[in-house]
Parts: sequence; C-alpha cells; structure tokens
Amino acid sequence: MDLRLTETQEMFKKVAADFVRAEAPAHLMTQWYRTKETFRPELYRKAAALGWLGMLLPEQYGGAETSLTDCAVVFEELGRGPVPGPFFSAGVLGAQIVFLGGSDEQKKSLLPAICKGESIPIPAITDQAAGWGPEAVETTLTGSAGGFILDGSKRFVFDAEAATGFIVAARTESGEIALVLVDRASAGLSIKALVGFMVSAAEVTFEKVRVPGSSVITAGSGWQVLSGALEKSLPMLCAYQVGACQEIFGFTAEYTRSRVVFGQPIGRFQRVQDHCVDLSVHLDAARYATYEALWRLDSGLPATAAVHEAKAVASEGYREVCNYAHMVFAGPGTDYGHPLMAHSVLAHTLYQYLGTPSHHKHSMMDLLYPISPKHALR
Amino acid sequence: MDFSLQADPPGIGAFRKEVRGWLQENMRGSEGLRWSATWSTRENEEEYRFRRHLAGRLGRKGWLFPMFPAEYGGAGLTIHHQTVLETELAEYGLGLNHVFYTIARIVAPVILKWGSEEQKREFLPPMVRGEISVWQVLTEPQGGSDVANCQTRAIRDGDHYVVSGQKVMVGHHKPPDFLWTLVCTDPSRPRHENLGWLHIPANLPGITIQPMYMMMGLKNSVFFDGVRVPVKYLVGGENNGWRVANTHLELEHGGEGRVGVDPLIERVVEYCQKTKIAGGPLMEDERVRDTIADMMIELNTLRRFNQRNYWHRFTRDPHPYGGAQQRYFQRMMRLRNGERLQRIMGCDALVQDLAVHEVVDFEYAVRTGPGQLHGGGTLDTDRLIFARRLGLGRPTKEQAPETI
Repeated sequence: MDLRLTETQEMFKKVAADFVRAEAPAHLMTQWYRTKETFRPELYRKAAALGWLGMLLPEQYGGAETSLTDCAVVFEELGRGPVPGPFFSAGVLGAQIVFLGGSDEQKKSLLPAICKGESIPIPAITDQAAGWGPEAVETTLTGSAGGFILDGSKRFVFDAEAATGFIVAARTESGEIALVLVDRASAGLSIKALVGFMVSAAEVTFEKVRVPGSSVITAGSGWQVLSGALEKSLPMLCAYQVGACQEIFGFTAEYTRSRVVFGQPIGRFQRVQDHCVDLSVHLDAARYATYEALWRLDSGLPATAAVHEAKAVASEGYREVCNYAHMVFAGPGTDYGHPLMAHSVLAHTLYQYLGTPSHHKHSMMDLLYPISPKHALR
Repeated sequence: MDFSLQADPPGIGAFRKEVRGWLQENMRGSEGLRWSATWSTRENEEEYRFRRHLAGRLGRKGWLFPMFPAEYGGAGLTIHHQTVLETELAEYGLGLNHVFYTIARIVAPVILKWGSEEQKREFLPPMVRGEISVWQVLTEPQGGSDVANCQTRAIRDGDHYVVSGQKVMVGHHKPPDFLWTLVCTDPSRPRHENLGWLHIPANLPGITIQPMYMMMGLKNSVFFDGVRVPVKYLVGGENNGWRVANTHLELEHGGEGRVGVDPLIERVVEYCQKTKIAGGPLMEDERVRDTIADMMIELNTLRRFNQRNYWHRFTRDPHPYGGAQQRYFQRMMRLRNGERLQRIMGCDALVQDLAVHEVVDFEYAVRTGPGQLHGGGTLDTDRLIFARRLGLGRPTKEQAPETI
C-alpha cells in the first residue's frame, strides 16, 4: 500500500497545473464556455507538443507509453480549467480505439498524427438520446469491401466540432457492430450543434456517406473493441471530473471566507457549511474511486467493474458538486461570467457522455452478478 | 497509488505465512462462534472467553499493537506487518480494532503521546498485551456533545484527586479494569483550560456502575462519589485535559482508519440469490439490483475513506479532515442502508439472526442506522469539525491534532 503519487506523477501534475494557469485561466474559461467556442486549435497544438495526446500509446506511434495513472494526473489538472477540447475524446478514446482495433496500416498512419494533434478522430457511438449500450447503435453500414454506405444519425457526439474525422459505430447487414473511419469532409455528412444546457455536443448525421473498405477498423467486433478502449480511457475522463470538483471546492471554500452577509462570513453559517461538507464528500468519493480503478488497471487486476463504478461516482459527483456550489453561490453563480457556470454546463454534459451513472451501475451489476438467461426477459 | 492489501512488499510475505499459520492454530475452536459487534445486544459468555483469550495470545506476541514500541508491549513492526495482521484476522471476521471489549485501541496511542515515561512503562504494557479492559468514560448527563462542559470534579488534595460526578452511556456488559476519563480539575479557570485527563483504576472505593438499557445494547452510568485517585494517574499534566481530549477524539472520530471490506454486502447478495420471488431469485429483480448497486458503491466509498485515513495515520501524516469526513459519510450511509435493507428484504430486515456474525445481521444493520448517529458526538459535531478543518468561513484551517 502506498497512497502517494510517484515523483514522476508529481512532476506531470506540476507541468499540467502550470499549463492550465497560463493557457486556460478562469476568465478565458468563462468566456469560451459562454460563447461555446470550446475548441481552441492553438491550445490543442500546444498540449500536443507537451506529449499529452499520446501518453498511453507506444513510442513507435509517437506516444510516451506511460501508466494510466500518470496520464490521469494530467487529466485531473486539465479538469480544473475545465480545459475544453478533444484531449480525451480523440487523444485518449479515439487513439485507443484505433490502437486496439485498427490494422497495422491504420495505426501507422493515424496514431502519430493523433499524437501531434493533426488528426482528431471523434467517436460517434450511439443513435439514441438515452442508452449507451450496443442496442443504441442503429446507424447502418451496407455494401461490401469494395465500398460501403453509412446511413444514420448520431444524437450526441461530444467534441464533434473539433473533428477531422469520426469513428462511427454502425450495424452491418448481419447485425454486427462495425467501427469505421469517416472523413469530416465526406459528402452527406452534416454536423448540427446541440443548443441548450450542454456544451461541445452535436448531432452528426451520415446520409448515404461512402466509406472505402480501407476505412473499416473492424467489421464485426466493434463493440468488443469499443469496450476495451473504454475500459482504459474512461478513468481519464473520471480524473478530469475529479480535477473539476477539486477546483470548484477550492473557489467555493474561498467564497465562504470572503463573502460577508448578516455581519459575518457565510462560512460561519452551519447550513452553508453543510453544503460544502457534502460537496467535499462527493469530491473525495470520486477521487478515490477513480484512483483505485486506475491502480487496478495499472496492476493488471480485473478492473472492468471498478471502471464502471468510477464513471458512475465521478459523473454523479461532478454534478452534485456543482449543485452544492450553486447553493453556496446563489444568484452570482448562475451568471455566465462566473467560473461555476462553465463547470455546471459541462458537468451536466459529462453526466450523459459515454453513459449516465445509472447505465454504469447496471453494467457493473451485470458484470458482477449476471442474470441467468432464463430470467433475462422478466 | 497502490491500494493493495495483499501484495506484500519484499520480506513481508514470510510474515504473512507466519501469521496465517499462527491463526490456523489459535483460531481453532472458534468455528461455531458468531462474533458480536463493538456495540452489541448479544452477551455470549463462550464467545467472550474465546476473544479475551485470543487477545492475550495476540498481545503476548505484540501483535495487538504491531507498530507499538517493543518496550511498551508492542512488536515494533511496520505498517505493512500491521496490514498483514488486519487482513489475515479479517479472514476470520475479526479486526485489531475490536478483538475484545476494550477501548485500548484509542487509549494506548493517547498515552504514548501524552504520558510521562513512567506512566508509559506502567500503564501501557498490560493494555497493549490485551490483559486488561479499559472503558472510555466521557459523556455526562448534561454535556452530550459538549465534552468540554465537564462537570465531574477532580479536586487536588495532597497526592490525590478527589473525583465526584456522573458519566453516562459508557462501557458494555463486562466490567472494566480502568476508566479513561475527562474531569474538571479547576472550576475557576476558563473553558478548555480547566480540564484534566485521568486513567482511573475501576476498583477504587466510591465508584458505582449501573446498567442502562439502550438501543445499541447495554451501556452504563458510572458514579464517582469522592473517589480518591492518586495523582500518578493524571495523563498529560495539570489542566491539559483538552489537548489530550483532542488526540483521543481525533482517533475516535474516524481518524483511526481501517483496512478491509465490509462483509455486509456479501451477505445481502447471498440472501438475494437464495430468496425466490415470482419464480426467480430476488437478485434478478431490477429494483433490487439498483438498490444493491447503490449500497455496494457507498460501502466501497467508505472502504476507500477508511483506507486513506489508515494510510495517513500510520505514515504519521494525519489527514486534515479525513476523520470527520469518514464518520459523517459512514453515519449517513448506514442510515440509508437500513432503509435499503428494509426495501429489499421486507420484515426479514427487522428479525434478529443469531446464526450469523452481528455485523452482518440485517436487524443489527437496520437498527445501527439511527443507533449510531450520535455515539462519541453527534452527526452535527462531525460536520462542525469537518467545516473547521476545511477552513470554511475562517482565515485559517484548523489543524488535525497529531496522533500516533
């Protein structure tokens, strides 16, 4: 047992924290989230230069092949911004899908470009608004190796605006799930930003989009590839949310000291204290669930259930942390000029992204205690 | 981070083997016993005798307090050895924090921190070796969570303190050898500066113990009527009781830390797999599964908070707010879990089951919900301390007292 970060991790943490302070200070964050300009190409290239996009990939593909925990430490700091951009969606998840499912040729051509920030393949997985299992994949892929046609609409694609291309999950004629690469400039592809209490999300429609055989990552085992990639990737998204919660905790606690009403700092009121106390419980619950899952993965222990648990706890935690902070900040916290707003909008978005807490709890239970086929339809 | 409890560092594997062999030998005869919890409504003589005896045998090897210095009865080992002992004992449903009824787990570290060399040499070895039972005697009828508002007087008279007053809701069904208690040594001094800490032999004349029948089992009132306590039993010096109290309370309030899994969820799953409803096992009912998922995740969260606090405590780096956080979370979780158990298993959740260990008895778990909200200070005290340690509304954060 040793619950400290390693020296290397402390170093990663410091570099990332300095980067966030310099490149993504709070006043820029509030502006970007308010105007929904959440993809900043220049910022993304700077991060690529620091090696953060391919941290998990082998060196031969331009990566650093660090442990998952090393990478998570960086994502935790990015979450403090919360720094927007496809760091996770393309830099981790997209890269892992290609790495786990792609052909040698695809890996050689794509992975180094992902690491440099030149290629940004964004996963577009489910067609339904709710539901993140294979049953929600409805887009179809028809045709043969000579040329396929992709037809369907992905309801919720995170970071779509930044994409140079998409990794699309689609049903083949035999009902299996394929993963295909689709260039953003393809004819028949359209992106419609979703407007509302969410950010960086879009609906992406593929209308009879032509896909060459060479763009197929996997024809039949798409869901297995995706599950493998998600298991390794989700903890980075969890760490990002932990960092976000930590940042919110910091500025909320500070506010309880500086904001004076009824003749005393609000932090002297026990009801205000209670909000912060509950906030802190959610923050640390998310932190330790995340780092325990990372430890399991890095140690080669069975980790699938722990990853589902971490995503459930971290996404629920981020949302709850924002809600408790709203109770403390009251009116001013709902002003788009306030740092809490960027988090609040993002927390609700990430609550959905890649599966709600409820989805991941079900997945965890089904894995630990499978339902016998006899009763599956009860 | 390394959360492992089983992957022993170099050199520790041999110790695990030794402990495992020793336990196989020394736990023989316990197969039919069902352990009572720290707060218990069970009074089983056979179980008590076994545990008392086991404590003595563990104590002789220094294993009750593996990290304690050998000169005071410990084994002078490392956190890794201690983790081995905790995890191997857990295989039998026990832990070092409660081998038998005594609060030594908290008292001994406080004496190690605040006692004089003479006191350490006299008081510690019998406690650390598991030979005596100590009761923590803090709550007063009018005091409750306001521990510093201590009315039990201990007035110096030559080489003695003369103690008079009453403590309530303390101990259990087995008599103590020592009473570990806070007293007011100088009523004329300001709050917090008027207190002393006494380690009182329980057999002194003038001490009366009366049972109280409580939700979580038998507790007692202790009356002190002009009890003459030799001054050598004052721990931490004249009027320094509040600082001693802080060390004690930090350990009692969750800072103690713990490793290992709560066995409750396993038993819930077992019950739900065995129990059939509408032709299928309860375990395959979607609502039951949702409820179990929430229970499991919260128990895991608590396990991780406990492990974090354990790590911080035994690496001598006290977590600023971990104790209060653990206790607040644990209390609210147990309350929720009580309701969840009732939802899952209906009236079975309210029927005592003596065939299982008390901590996994559903009835005990449900009753513990409301029953554990206040012991050692209310839920609100937890949040108050938590808030101070987080530095809410104040320029500086209150520091966690150093424990050991």
